[in-house]
Amino acid sequence: MGELVRYKRDVWGEEVILGVSWDLLWVVAVAVLVLLAAHAIIMAALANKKIEKASTGGRRVVRHESIDRLFHWVMALSIFALIITGVAPILGLRFAWLNIHWIAGLLLTFITIFHIIRSMFWQDFKSMILGPKDFGEPFNAAQMPGKYSFEQKGMHWAVTVVVLAVIVTGMLMFLQIDSPFWDRTNSMPEDQLGLVFLLHGLSTLALVALAATHIYFALRPEKLFYTRSMVSGWMSEDEVNANHDPELWIPREAD
Amino acid sequence: MVATSYDVMPDIELYQPTDEDNALALASSLGKDGWLLGGGQDTYGWLKDRNKTPTAMIELTQVDAWKGIKEISTGVEIGAVTTLTDIANNPLIQSRYGLLAKAASIVASPQIRNVGTIAGNLAQDARCWYYRRGLDCYRAGGNICYADSPEGLNREHAIFGASRCVAVSPSDTAPALVALNATMVISSESGQRLVDAEDFFVGPDRDIVNMTILNEGEVLTAIRLPSEWANAEYYWEKVADRNVWDFALVSVAAAMKMSGDTIQEARIACGAVECVPRRLNDIENALRGQQRSEALAEQVAAMATEGARPLNYNHFKVPLMANLVKRAVRG
Repeated sequence: MGELVRYKRDVWGEEVILGVSWDLLWVVAVAVLVLLAAHAIIMAALANKKIEKASTGGRRVVRHESIDRLFHWVMALSIFALIITGVAPILGLRFAWLNIHWIAGLLLTFITIFHIIRSMFWQDFKSMILGPKDFGEPFNAAQMPGKYSFEQKGMHWAVTVVVLAVIVTGMLMFLQIDSPFWDRTNSMPEDQLGLVFLLHGLSTLALVALAATHIYFALRPEKLFYTRSMVSGWMSEDEVNANHDPELWIPREAD
Repeated sequence: MVATSYDVMPDIELYQPTDEDNALALASSLGKDGWLLGGGQDTYGWLKDRNKTPTAMIELTQVDAWKGIKEISTGVEIGAVTTLTDIANNPLIQSRYGLLAKAASIVASPQIRNVGTIAGNLAQDARCWYYRRGLDCYRAGGNICYADSPEGLNREHAIFGASRCVAVSPSDTAPALVALNATMVISSESGQRLVDAEDFFVGPDRDIVNMTILNEGEVLTAIRLPSEWANAEYYWEKVADRNVWDFALVSVAAAMKMSGDTIQEARIACGAVECVPRRLNDIENALRGQQRSEALAEQVAAMATEGARPLNYNHFKVPLMANLVKRAVRG
């Protein structure tokens, strides 16, 4: 494996960080593929032990409000745009990526701020809190989660940390280029700039891994009803009872 | 990497193919490790300073098929390794495409024009001294532009189209070829593709490392000048700090088809104001069908610099460019 961090000499001849080594992109891609393939194989081997699928008929309850679904898909779109426009030039594709990248980054920033405010004042923030008790859930078939499972909370908080890291470092990098809002000053010291590039690169790699994992689980047959609920907003009562503790999550009935 | 002075060239392989197939095969197999060598005027400095470190040079000037100037059914074809002196002195070019003859005759110095090729002049790398000095700027794969920093010296740099990097296209012949609507013949082992001169150059928004669309394994093998722009009315002017052996601060190349005093069609491009030759489409449209006059020249000159974003030390390029365009239109 190649180097993890790239270095350069600054204008004074001192060695400073340049950014993350993009060899790691391949490491992440291979690692994620291997892990997800292994998971798929194990799940296929255990398929005959699966309990039967919950019915989609009957009473429907609200899983996601329309505003939250819109937030999710806009976030997905912006993250895809950011990953594609950020990674494709590294892979050698030539196109004018920078404007698309910062526009997608601004979009992600605004909707993330929106989500933080909404989740604190208009949503059940506690339903996403990951407590010590949640860590026993994967090992105890009798322990049912509330609205969100241990895995879902884990994915949410991992994405939260990584997206915030991408946004903060991305905004610092955004200040280094000309935009309709300002002319760049290009005055950040090179060692600090290198650190920002490194953190942005590392969080990008984490985001690639998390996005791939998230898509994989969203497409798993046993999880498809969650994906459907992110499109249509509803889950059947059967699906709720089979996967959630009705005492911990009392959803309202869908219209 | 900060530049260090070296007394000698690095140890490097030299390939001297004499036919097209061998040259293209070498370009393909060596990829980015194979440096395409024309007259060498944009080669030896890079290699001697170790700021570019290919393992081999592929000298293209011995491929006869890529040399010389000949008439073809659609106009004139210039072999890519034809020297600038040969182009400037060629009777066919002088009589039909005087714009290119003028541009080629003013490149650098007589000695450089005697060995420098048209392909080398077109595909030469950025002349930003921070980049040439070996600093790890954006163009060198880094994360900063030294020329556009608060203390950066950017008198010669771009006033249009900067995207992180602010270097300009240094070629004198490039604006002339854009104005003449030339076609670039790009060859590789997998075949040949034709590209308009205007699309041959790329800005840093699209590719911050390369200045042309040439991919690994591809070679610019010829330039075709269309007969539709032969014997048009031409204007070429280059403003530089010195008359000899210097790059343009701003240059202008214009080709106009006239009917009496009426401009039927025009193509105008400016050099050294952007990372690519800047074609002035709006002005071309404004000129179409107009009577040539001082007032018209004044009017379109103001349009030429709309949207310019000068840097700390190159505000002078804005009126300079406007004046050159005015002179080109006025004739």
